[in-house]
Amino acid sequence: MSKIGLIIKREYSSRVKKKSFIIMTILVPILAAGFLIGAMILGMPEDRDLSIKVIDDSLIVGQNLHISQHNETENKNNPFADPEAHLKSKITYKPDIKLTLDEARALLDSDQANFDMILYIPENILVSNVVKLYYKEMPNSKAQASIMDNINETIEILKVKEANMDYQYYKSIKTQVAVHTIDNKSESDQDSQIEIKAGIGFALGLMIYMFIFIYGVQVMKGVIEEKTNRIVEVIVSSVKPFELMMGKIIGIMLVGLTQFAMWVVLIGIFSTLVMPFMLPDGYDVGTLAGEMNGPHTTAEVANAMGQQDQVIMQDNEIINFLFTQVPWGSLIAIFLFFFIGGYLLYGSLMAAIGAAVDSETDTQQFMLPVTLPLVFAYLISVMGMQDPNSTVMQWCSQIPFTSPVVMLVRYSANAGEGMTLSLITSMLLLIVTFIGTTWLAGKIYRTGILMYGKKVTYKELFKWLKY
Amino acid sequence: MSNEIIFKAENIVKRYAAHTALDNVSIEVPRQSVYGLLGPNGAGKTSLIRIINQITAPDSGAVYLNGERLKREHISQIGYLPEERGLYKKMKVGEQALYLARLKGMDKKEAKAALDEWFKKFDIAAWWDKKVEELSKGMAQKIQFITTVMHKPKLLILDEPFSGFDPINTNLVKNEILKLRDEGTTIILSTHNMGSVEEICDHITLINKSKKVLDGKLTDIKAQFTDEEYQIEFKGNVVAFANAVWGGWELVNREQMGEHHFMATIKLMEGNNLTNYLKSILDHVEILSVNKRVPSMNEIFIKAVAQKDNVSPDEVEQSLNQENTEENE
Repeated sequence: MSKIGLIIKREYSSRVKKKSFIIMTILVPILAAGFLIGAMILGMPEDRDLSIKVIDDSLIVGQNLHISQHNETENKNNPFADPEAHLKSKITYKPDIKLTLDEARALLDSDQANFDMILYIPENILVSNVVKLYYKEMPNSKAQASIMDNINETIEILKVKEANMDYQYYKSIKTQVAVHTIDNKSESDQDSQIEIKAGIGFALGLMIYMFIFIYGVQVMKGVIEEKTNRIVEVIVSSVKPFELMMGKIIGIMLVGLTQFAMWVVLIGIFSTLVMPFMLPDGYDVGTLAGEMNGPHTTAEVANAMGQQDQVIMQDNEIINFLFTQVPWGSLIAIFLFFFIGGYLLYGSLMAAIGAAVDSETDTQQFMLPVTLPLVFAYLISVMGMQDPNSTVMQWCSQIPFTSPVVMLVRYSANAGEGMTLSLITSMLLLIVTFIGTTWLAGKIYRTGILMYGKKVTYKELFKWLKY
Repeated sequence: MSNEIIFKAENIVKRYAAHTALDNVSIEVPRQSVYGLLGPNGAGKTSLIRIINQITAPDSGAVYLNGERLKREHISQIGYLPEERGLYKKMKVGEQALYLARLKGMDKKEAKAALDEWFKKFDIAAWWDKKVEELSKGMAQKIQFITTVMHKPKLLILDEPFSGFDPINTNLVKNEILKLRDEGTTIILSTHNMGSVEEICDHITLINKSKKVLDGKLTDIKAQFTDEEYQIEFKGNVVAFANAVWGGWELVNREQMGEHHFMATIKLMEGNNLTNYLKSILDHVEILSVNKRVPSMNEIFIKAVAQKDNVSPDEVEQSLNQENTEENE
């Protein structure tokens, strides 16, 4: 085996055998699955019947709330309604004309109340369109949605009646239009769902970001360890400093890739084995996955964009979308390229930092300029998800210090279309830059590892480059 | 011991940004000898050693091993124990020794066999599966020594080999060094503690302020710097001692050891000899012992530097002390 091979092997096996590695590798997927299940359980509608005291100053809406509830069966057939939006539990409205709001609130506070909430409908409801719901225990979002639907419909029915119109007729002319944005170059006729795609890219970019941070710091720590252990001089009498540095960087990279691969496998196993048992009857993993990923993302992104009337995709549509509209093959290949390229770029700089200092506490002054562009790339990506092709995103997906995170968002958002040229330039730039940083790092490294007890300045580092 | 040269450095110059670490230094190391590289801290010894180990390259000058220009392939023939030494703390002893052996170019089987032998020799076979952090400092140093010599290097380079070793381990290592030399290894040994190596070095080079001051066979150098000085321990009257011989000598030092009991250091001038001198004083005092005073390596160093720089020995000593305090700060 070549010497660099020996070094890679030692770096790899000494880390993979560590307890902390094994624990992290197993624990993270369990935690991830736990969070997923936890979030799912929390997000599931509670089958709790609610009794609501209605204080109605408008003197008309409150007592008619029950009429909307009769329409719920019909609503199930309404293509615009979200089938999941309605509670399985029953909401009972109890109009009360004797109590004032203050009295009702005092009663709700007193524990003697035979109701769970107070719905206050003001006199000017028809103008203001605002009601107030007083609670002791916060109702979940689906209960809130149900109440809102009931009130909306009641008012609509009352208004329709007032106008001498037939409610069924009104419903048939009521219109709600969804706008699907489609890239003209795209062959598919489906909504391009740029936000979801950007979100997928962001998730991958985030992984690269974390990977670079976690394992870059490990490279730095490893170099400092060798330096403070004083073993480094023995080793560089057998191998070139550059071989030692590259062996370490590559060995740790393989550790990261191993961990990543194991996470993917373990998460896969957990979600296929454990999930079905965790779910209530009638759910299958497919719909669950759809529910977990889809509507939340869409809703969040839409909210962020200030859209009020977003169109929520159906579960099966999302699964279909995920499989057909996202170019997984090329996305994963690009992910791996930027994953490795970004890590090599930052890892070599981290190795240089480790070589320049005597202990971890001295790393601060050098860490900041190295981590800053990485954090910047992350922030740009967060903002860029809404507008993946903005000028800033275009530039940052080319600059090698930010491209490993930003390019993933851009590429994924555009589903790779029209990206070939900028992808190639970005990749070439990254390759050239990491060769450059590795070369620079090698120069700093070989001087730094044999330098003890000296507070190193930037000026000093610059001199080392010329040795 | 043959006079064949195994290692040669010619006119080595190494400059760092602000200072010159080695200024035209040449050494020739005879095969199967212990070669001492002596000089105060900061003289340039470690710079020279790093060049021999190809950790750094000289700015000019050439280095030869066995008559060939030094190249990467020679690494397996060189063993190096740096001044700053250490091991991976979390790694197991045996695993680590194997790793270092393989970096030196040994294959796995060969390395395992050599290590088994050494571990047996030092009686530490039980440590194979221990982690280095579980070992005491002395134990770790033994391992370190083994990893330096396990690949049977032709040239062994030891930088300050005795610093940090306790007296027992120092002796163990001294004996091993001599044994290795007798088996054919050539050893270059560097130290600022000049007294510690006198007994094992065959040849020495004195380095000061990046320059070679003096080199040669230890016995020759000692002879060259030895004056006709004698330590005479006697009982009797000191005035009688002083008056016994009128000329041709000078009293360098006198110490009172007890009542009428003295130790005098005298220097004989040219044309005088010890026998005549002793004959003259025999009638006046009772002589207990007579020793020829051989200068220590430290004294030789100071004298040599003084001669070379054309200053007084006191000035050299002063500047050396100053350098040492600076080093400690």
